[in-house]
Amino acid sequence: MSGDGETPGIRRAWGWAAHLRDGGTTPWRDWAVEGTAHGRHLPGAQQLELLRRLNAAGDVSDGLATRVLEASAPGRGRPDLELVGSVDVLAFGPPPVDPADLSADELLRVAAGLLAEDVHAAGLPVAGTVRPRPWRTRYRLVGDPMLADPRRADLGSRGRPPGGRNELVVVLGTDVAQMMVDIWTARSIGVGTTPWGEWVRRARRLDALPRRIDLPRVARTAAERVGVRRVRVVLDVDALPRLVGVRRPLAAAPELSADAVELARRTGQVLGLLATPVERAALLREVLVPRLAEHPGPALVLPRRHVEWVRGHARTMRDELARAGYPVHGDPDGLLPVDRPGVTRPSDAGVLALALRLLLEKKSI
Amino acid sequence: MSTRVLLHVGTPKTGTSYLQDVLFRNQRTLAAAGILYPADRFDAHFLAALDLMRMPWGGLEKQAVGQWDKLAKKVRKHDGTSIISHEILATASRAQVGRALTSLGHDDGTEIHVVISVRDLVRQIPAEWQENVKHRAALSYRAFLDQIQDPRREERISTWFWGVQELPEILDRWGDDLPPERIHLVTVPPVGGPQDLLWQRFSKAFGLDGLDLTLEAERTNPSLGVPETALVRRINRAANQELEPRDYRPLVRELLAHQTLSRRVDSPRLALPPDLHPWVSQVTASWVDEIERRGYDVVGDLGDLAGAPPVTDYVDPDHPDEAQVADAAVDALRAVLLEGSRWQRREGELRAELDDAYKALERSYLRPTYRWRERTVRRLQNSGLGRRGLSAYRRLRGRSSPPA
Repeated sequence: MSGDGETPGIRRAWGWAAHLRDGGTTPWRDWAVEGTAHGRHLPGAQQLELLRRLNAAGDVSDGLATRVLEASAPGRGRPDLELVGSVDVLAFGPPPVDPADLSADELLRVAAGLLAEDVHAAGLPVAGTVRPRPWRTRYRLVGDPMLADPRRADLGSRGRPPGGRNELVVVLGTDVAQMMVDIWTARSIGVGTTPWGEWVRRARRLDALPRRIDLPRVARTAAERVGVRRVRVVLDVDALPRLVGVRRPLAAAPELSADAVELARRTGQVLGLLATPVERAALLREVLVPRLAEHPGPALVLPRRHVEWVRGHARTMRDELARAGYPVHGDPDGLLPVDRPGVTRPSDAGVLALALRLLLEKKSI
Repeated sequence: MSTRVLLHVGTPKTGTSYLQDVLFRNQRTLAAAGILYPADRFDAHFLAALDLMRMPWGGLEKQAVGQWDKLAKKVRKHDGTSIISHEILATASRAQVGRALTSLGHDDGTEIHVVISVRDLVRQIPAEWQENVKHRAALSYRAFLDQIQDPRREERISTWFWGVQELPEILDRWGDDLPPERIHLVTVPPVGGPQDLLWQRFSKAFGLDGLDLTLEAERTNPSLGVPETALVRRINRAANQELEPRDYRPLVRELLAHQTLSRRVDSPRLALPPDLHPWVSQVTASWVDEIERRGYDVVGDLGDLAGAPPVTDYVDPDHPDEAQVADAAVDALRAVLLEGSRWQRREGELRAELDDAYKALERSYLRPTYRWRERTVRRLQNSGLGRRGLSAYRRLRGRSSPPA
């Protein structure tokens, strides 16, 4: 797809690229006007179609248009493809495509790469240092990461960091189906993980809950260190402030749609090649997640076919906690799965639409 | 600024591990001749390539952050010839190629040469399937062959295969901005020729003739036979869901495949099915015609790409001799048992060391002065003056303890 050796088809492709650069939304198959080369090589069909979709979704800045056309889809997958009709049948390379036929997943590869660049460029907000209060309640929060992590961060920002002598270990949990969603979410916006369906199937096949939400195990580990009397199991998060010595309610995790979590997971994969693992997790948590939370949508729920499986684990968990004698705040039956509204998997089309919205919000880079 | 950069971009299974190991182990000799091979670890260029192409690779990419720019900076600073080599660069997109060439000084006058080593598809096709199997793939040989013959190339396997093998297309991407005389093809000789012929060709292409290099390499990528590959594929099918990627590499790829099963050299070798030879010959002929037309520099003989004729004793790895697979499985079990026993011994040693450390810790807690010292440190940490005093004491003592 070099700029020289131009044919009518190539000139038509350059014309379409210029049209898209000017904010056009005409599909390739309806485009007929020829143009002149603008750059070393024609962008791939994925990049051109992504720009067309962005133009259709809102105002695209010159800078963003240039970035899209110069982007490469990160990771493994189909290479940059040529436009069908722009070149003769090729002797080598993948066959040309009509960009309208490209899957959302293909476009998402490019979009997630651009979004990762945005998140990386935004950098981490400067965190102020808060002096620890000397007379604070010493505590440690463990268990469901989407319950524990934001509340721990909130307490830290109030001068109440975790740890210390004679600490009270609070094991936070909720219904097991939600905890499954929570742990996948935490990994998606943290260290990274496999797609939801694959992740759940693996847990099912192993017939084991992830360690962090295996509450009896978490409590047992804590009890071995601090003694049973200093362990509390909290299934009603409203009981937490009093246990850790504060009156005001503690910050909860931002509500993320299933598509938002999947977009964070996909963006995190590329971010892993731009930032160290610690920076990557912090950038996702502090830069991307707040932006994703501004776009509500259906939450992720455990597919019905796995509910009976987690119900069995929930019963075992409830009985083990009762036998071990830990004080429990909240109803122990609260560990059993309950019906929640939501979707059982993210949708590629929804994730792509969300990615487009986020890219359009970021017009300056 | 480097005056000349030799960029070796593939292809896999063409002696690249050997070449990279020789270059890595002879950095001093090369430097004395004005040639830079900038690598502080043997896989430095692999990490740089992952970074350039933003390619996740089972967690290794965490170590790749910023590695391409670091590599390019070293190259730009060097006054002379630099060599960069990694086979996965073959899959770079045009935009990534553009970024790579610019970062190496292409726009500022650096003379960039692209080197690509190539081997006939008759050997590359079974080798690529085997490489997939050693990277957790569980698909049959027939499914692999069907995917790579599918002209749509929409699957992950076929996308990767042609991305690293389709010579004219790779050179379209890498060579679009370079004159043909700066593109060098090194052909891998057929089996049975002189042992060092491939090295002689590499040496010529990279301008290493006359240098006193140590050619014994430690790192190679050994091959498996039919029953051994079939066994690894069955292990993948059985264990993939449970075995984490970080455990797969040392246990299956290294311990089983490379260290154990590759030693079984008497088993039947993987080969191209005879019925695919006409198709492969046709593809190869079109490549050779195109390369001749473009006028690249060929080190070796384009005739090498034709490959060997169909084997007469073809063994289908999807239907291997079960007795041979069982033999291979016994070898694999033996290796796993020995490794397990080694880990058990090591665990015992570590447990003993940990027990000793706990006992020493308990002894120190029992000393009557411990609690007094602990209280003093806590009190000092509650005031600015105390913290400064403590910090001065720790500096004088010679090590810094973290605050409690």
